[in-house]
Parts: sequence; structure tokens; C-alpha cells
Amino acid sequence: MSDSTTSASPAMPAPAKAASVSRGDFLWLGWTMLAGFIGASAAASARFFFPNVIYEPSQRFNAGPAKGFDLGVSTKWANEQRVWIVRTEQGFYALWARCTHLGCTPNWFSDQSRFKCPCHGSNFNLGGDVIAGPAPKPLLRAKIELAATGDLIIDKAVLENTPGKRDTAPFFVEYA
Amino acid sequence: MLPSLDVEKVKKEILDSQIWRSMFRGGVWKDTPRDRASHIIGNVWLHLHPVRARPRALEWTYTWGLGGISFVLFLILTVTGVLLMFYYRPTIDLAYRDMKDLEFAITLGKLFRNMHRWAAQAMVVAVIAHMVRVFLTGSYKKPREFNWGVGVLLLTLTLFLSFTGYLLPWDQLAIWAVTVGTNMAAASPGLGNEGPFGSLMGMRINNDIRFVLLGGTMVGENTLLRFYVMHCVAVPLLVGILLIVHFWRVRKDSFSAAPYNSAEEKLEVWPHLVKREYIAAAGCLLFIMLWSILMDAPLEVQANPNVTPNPSKAPWYFVGLQELLVYFDPWIAGVILPNLIIVGLMALPYIDTNPKGVGYYTWKERPFANAQFMLGVVLWFVLIYIGYYCRGPNFFWYWPWESWLDPKPAPPPTWSVFGPVIPNCAWPGQPAAAGQPPCDSLFPIWMGLPLVGLAFAASMALPKMIKAEIESKKAHIAFFAVMILAVAAGKLLGKMTLLQGGWLLFFGYLHFYFGFLLPQRHIRNLDWARYLVTMFLVICTTGVLLKMCARLAFDIKYLITIPQISMNI
Repeated sequence: MSDSTTSASPAMPAPAKAASVSRGDFLWLGWTMLAGFIGASAAASARFFFPNVIYEPSQRFNAGPAKGFDLGVSTKWANEQRVWIVRTEQGFYALWARCTHLGCTPNWFSDQSRFKCPCHGSNFNLGGDVIAGPAPKPLLRAKIELAATGDLIIDKAVLENTPGKRDTAPFFVEYA
Repeated sequence: MLPSLDVEKVKKEILDSQIWRSMFRGGVWKDTPRDRASHIIGNVWLHLHPVRARPRALEWTYTWGLGGISFVLFLILTVTGVLLMFYYRPTIDLAYRDMKDLEFAITLGKLFRNMHRWAAQAMVVAVIAHMVRVFLTGSYKKPREFNWGVGVLLLTLTLFLSFTGYLLPWDQLAIWAVTVGTNMAAASPGLGNEGPFGSLMGMRINNDIRFVLLGGTMVGENTLLRFYVMHCVAVPLLVGILLIVHFWRVRKDSFSAAPYNSAEEKLEVWPHLVKREYIAAAGCLLFIMLWSILMDAPLEVQANPNVTPNPSKAPWYFVGLQELLVYFDPWIAGVILPNLIIVGLMALPYIDTNPKGVGYYTWKERPFANAQFMLGVVLWFVLIYIGYYCRGPNFFWYWPWESWLDPKPAPPPTWSVFGPVIPNCAWPGQPAAAGQPPCDSLFPIWMGLPLVGLAFAASMALPKMIKAEIESKKAHIAFFAVMILAVAAGKLLGKMTLLQGGWLLFFGYLHFYFGFLLPQRHIRNLDWARYLVTMFLVICTTGVLLKMCARLAFDIKYLITIPQISMNI
């Protein structure tokens, strides 16, 4: 094979002279690219810390027959499911017992008709609206349905606290 | 008759034996200056010391041995921590059982757990005290700025180690401290689903920063394992690396202690300093052992993710933060303020241009830096005191002499100054007609943003704008005259009680003195860049005090609230 760089035929145009790259520039480029690759790989590896499958208890439960609840706040499911079931003259709603401030479980004080949080002192009224303390938003209400059997089915995965929305289905069940 | 033992001869034989000589370099020990120097240089553990040091650096009353004590506590924690790992299994079924076994079934298990817990608490104290000492002796100034920054990171990691270790016993204290802590992360602006802009940026409970910390949507199995790995492996490794850098820079930047006089001779580190270090280490170890024998580490009932103890309190060094969370939204109290403290501390050496007061305690030569720093430290501990001793059931304010069993009236409703104005609403205290919504804010947002922005900017700029130094006495008289008149007017018009006036006077004075008078006197000639950074930190500190006043005395929840983007200040 002929050496093309030294014996180029005069008929062919001479190859454009490549811009010279100094050894220093070449190495700098190489190392920068390697560092960039390793850095980007490390950043992308952050995805590793987001589990794809989690094994947490189901958020849906059967709270039992609706006729078993009296008017007012029932703390029957508070310890097991972290939910208060509130019965009004019109029907039922289920409050998720998680303070919207930093996630502690408030307690129900029937004498003052308030939910009070033990961690930073937030107070909520019967509807879940903030009265005092640092909580920024009303308590969330969970999806509630009346099954054909007469049982209340509650799903804590579906939540709402916007006035208006929270007062209609599926966050409110009419029950006389 | 007993055969007499020639101790000197035995000692000589051991020291001259081939085994001893191979282990310790340096030949026959003649206790010459050269021997003492080579004892430091030739030993891998001791060579981070200089050979000689200034007399002041060896004074107990200069360093108080605090850095060394922090390190000794870290070593005690490492050893006892490794021991506990032999029995402890980080799963929610076994963790609490293993804690009980450590306490009741395993020989010395209780002692080692006690030592681990108490040494951890002591380490937090020692590291904070070390930082205060370094600050007060000006040891963060050039050329030691960088090492101060490393130290701030080490303080942060010390607290983080405590926090991650807190979950492992899997008792009620553990799960609720971590629930609160990780929910603060969920309130980070842009990173958490509950923070400002969170939902705008597509944050949900299963893709935000809390999800990563917990390994799920609630404190559970994954969380325990993650915290275990961070507590036992990841964070200690990081601390170890930073400790090496920290020690190396202490050595390279040399001890900060200033000479007593220019002609003084330096002292040899072996034996003078090393001896003191051994004494401090031994004293520290004995203290922790004694404490652990006399007092047991607390262990509450097993964790219950549905029921929170009432009241629920963080470990004492975080109770100040918990108290701040009463006054501010989580993204401010839990994210912005702690980060400001860390960044502000790291920025200190670069904004403090005063060259005086390096290597000795002095208040006169650096009155501004000392006053502002100590205000921050004292505020931190006052908040801890309030949170620990003045908060009872439902986190209601109980004075230390009041019984927690005394019934308290429900806390009054709160209101905001600027925010969505609800037409035809009922103010707290007024009887509400049927269907009348409760009021929230006094003035609309469009008014609040420029007004609050202007007030903040003015507080920052004003001290520098006044060129001549304000006379302290006149300023005090003017301040108190205006404030007392305002309080009296408020009282007469029925807008303010005397107690409210008292709170206003107290917090207002702190803001006036630390946020205006001191900067005006001391830093008005600083260049604008440094001045603004300094004033930003100062006004943030006094701003915390003013917000506390607004909440404690006037039931003000927010200065500004923009609920659409979860932005409440």
C-alpha cells in the first residue's frame, strides 16, 4: 500500500491541513470528557435510590357498617387505620389523621371540638380546617363509599381538602 | 524472702529488645530534644502534631481540650457502635426486640448502649462548644477560613449522625422524630411535594426527596435499613475523611494561639501537649462510663406509625428547631433557616474583615462579631429551653412551674397580615353568623409583597446609609420613648394589652439593638458585598425574633401568605 500522505498524486487536491491540536489540549479534552462521563453517570445513579416496588400496607379498608356510627367523631379506626370517621346530619366523611404540618397524628378533644397536634400545636376544627398553630392546610379527607352491604369502604390513597370538592362524592357519603 | 525485682533492668531489657526496637523507631531513648521530636515525627498517630507549640496553645483555658474531646467521643462512639452492631438487626420486626435484649438479656449490652447514647449527646455538646471556642478566639480567620468550613460540615454531620441513629431503636421517640424530620424534607422548595413550587414541578409523594430518604411513602422497613446504612457506614466514612482533612489543616495552618510575648520559647509537644491529650481522653472515657453506669438511656414503647405521643419532642439539640417550626412554615424553619445557619457560618471568615483578635479571647477588639455570634448561640439554646421546658400537651405553652395536668383553654385562632382577603368574613373573637367564613388576612397580597420587600431592604440598607455614628444613649432614649408611646396609645385605644406591649418592647428592642444600632456603629464602612451578606444574616436572625413576637403576642400566623404556591412567611 502506498503511503497516501507522502505520495499523494498531484492530480488530487492536497488534503486540507488539519487544525493542529496540541498534546495539552487533547489531554485536557480527554480528561474533561472522562470526568464528565463519570459525573453524569454518578448523577444518573441517583435513580437507584428511588425504589420501584414498595411493600406498604394497603390504603383501603372496610370500616364496618355505617349504621354502627353515632353522630360526631368516631375514633374507632384512629389507632389501626389513622382515620377519624365523622358523621353529620347529612352523612359521612373520613378525615385522615395526619397533621398537614409535619405528619404527626393529632388527637380529638370532644370538649373543645378540636383536633390538636402533639408535635407543634396545630388545631383543627371538626371539618379539618386550621384554627391555630403552624399547619398550612386543612386536614385531608379520604375517599369514602357506602358498599351494598351497608359497610363504609375507605381509601386513604385518594385524598382531598379543597372546600367544595371535599364535600361531595367520593369524599362524602350521604346518609340519613 | 521474696526475690527482688529490678524494674529498671527489666524495663531496659524490654526497651532494648529487638521486638520493641522494631515496633518503635528511634534507637535508644535518651530523652533529648531530638528524641522527643522524633517521637512525634516518627509515629504515624502522633505525626499530625507539630513538634513544638506556643505555651498558650497548651493552656486548658485556651482550648478547653474541646476538639480533642470531640474526637475521643467519636472514637468511643465508633467502638460502642461496632459492639452494638453485633446484636442489632435493622428490621421493624426485630429492631425493638434486639434493643430489649441489649437492655435485659445481653451481658454489658445495657452499658454499651448507654455509653453510645450518652457519648453521642456529649459529642453534640463538645462540638458546639468547640465551635464557640474557635469563634471567640478568632481562630477561623486567615489562613484558617477553609478549616472552619470543614468544621461546620463536621458539626452538621455530627447532628445528622445523631438524627440517623435516633431511628434505630424503633421506639415511639424514634419514629416520630424521623417522621417530622423527613416531612421537613418534603417541604423543601422544589425538591419536596409539599414545599413551594413542589406540585408545579411535578413532585408527588412517590418521587420527591422524602421518598428517597424513606425508601417509601411512610417510615417503614426501607427507612430503617436506609438510616442504618447511613448511620453505621456512609456518614461515619464521610466524617472520617473530613476529620483527616480537619486535623491536617490544623497542623498545616498551625495552632492559632497567639504568643504571650514576642521572645517566648515554644514548648515541646511531647510530652507537654500529648500528655494533656491523654488526660483529657482518659477523663472523658471515665466520665462517659460513670454516666452510663448511673443513668440508663431512654427507650420508649415500640414504634406505632399511627399514634403520636403527646407531647412529642425531638432530641434536645433539635428541640430549638422544633420550636422554630411552631412559628414558621416547614420549608422556612426546617429547610431555609438550617441551611442559612450552615452557609452563614461557613461564610463568616470571608465577611469578617477585622484582623484583630486572633489567638486569644477578646470582646473589646471584636465587639460586633462576638455579639452577633453569641446572639445566635444564645437564641439556639433559649429556643431549646422553651421547647423542652415550656411546652406541654398539644405543644401548648406551659410555664415550667405549671402542671401538665392543668386544663388549658384552646389556643386562640390565628390570622395573617397579607394574604387572600375573604369578603364578608368574621374576625377571630367576633361572633360569626351562620355560613359566614372565618377571616384570614387583613390586607391583600399585592400590597404585602412590595411593603414587606421594602421593609426588609430598608432594614438591611439603613445602618450603612447613616454616615455618622449614632450616639447610643440618644438612640436608646428615642427608641424607648417611641415604643412606650406606641404601647400606651395601643392600650388606650384598646388595641393592645400591656402584656402584648411588653412582648413588643422586648423583641422590638432586640431587633433595634442587634439589627440596627450595632451594625450602624460597627460595620457601616464595610464594602457593600460583605455588608449586605452580613446584614442579610443579621436581619434573618432578628426577623426570627420578630416573627416569634408576632405569633406569641398577636396570634399572627403569617406575614404574607400565597396559598396558591404554598408560600407562607
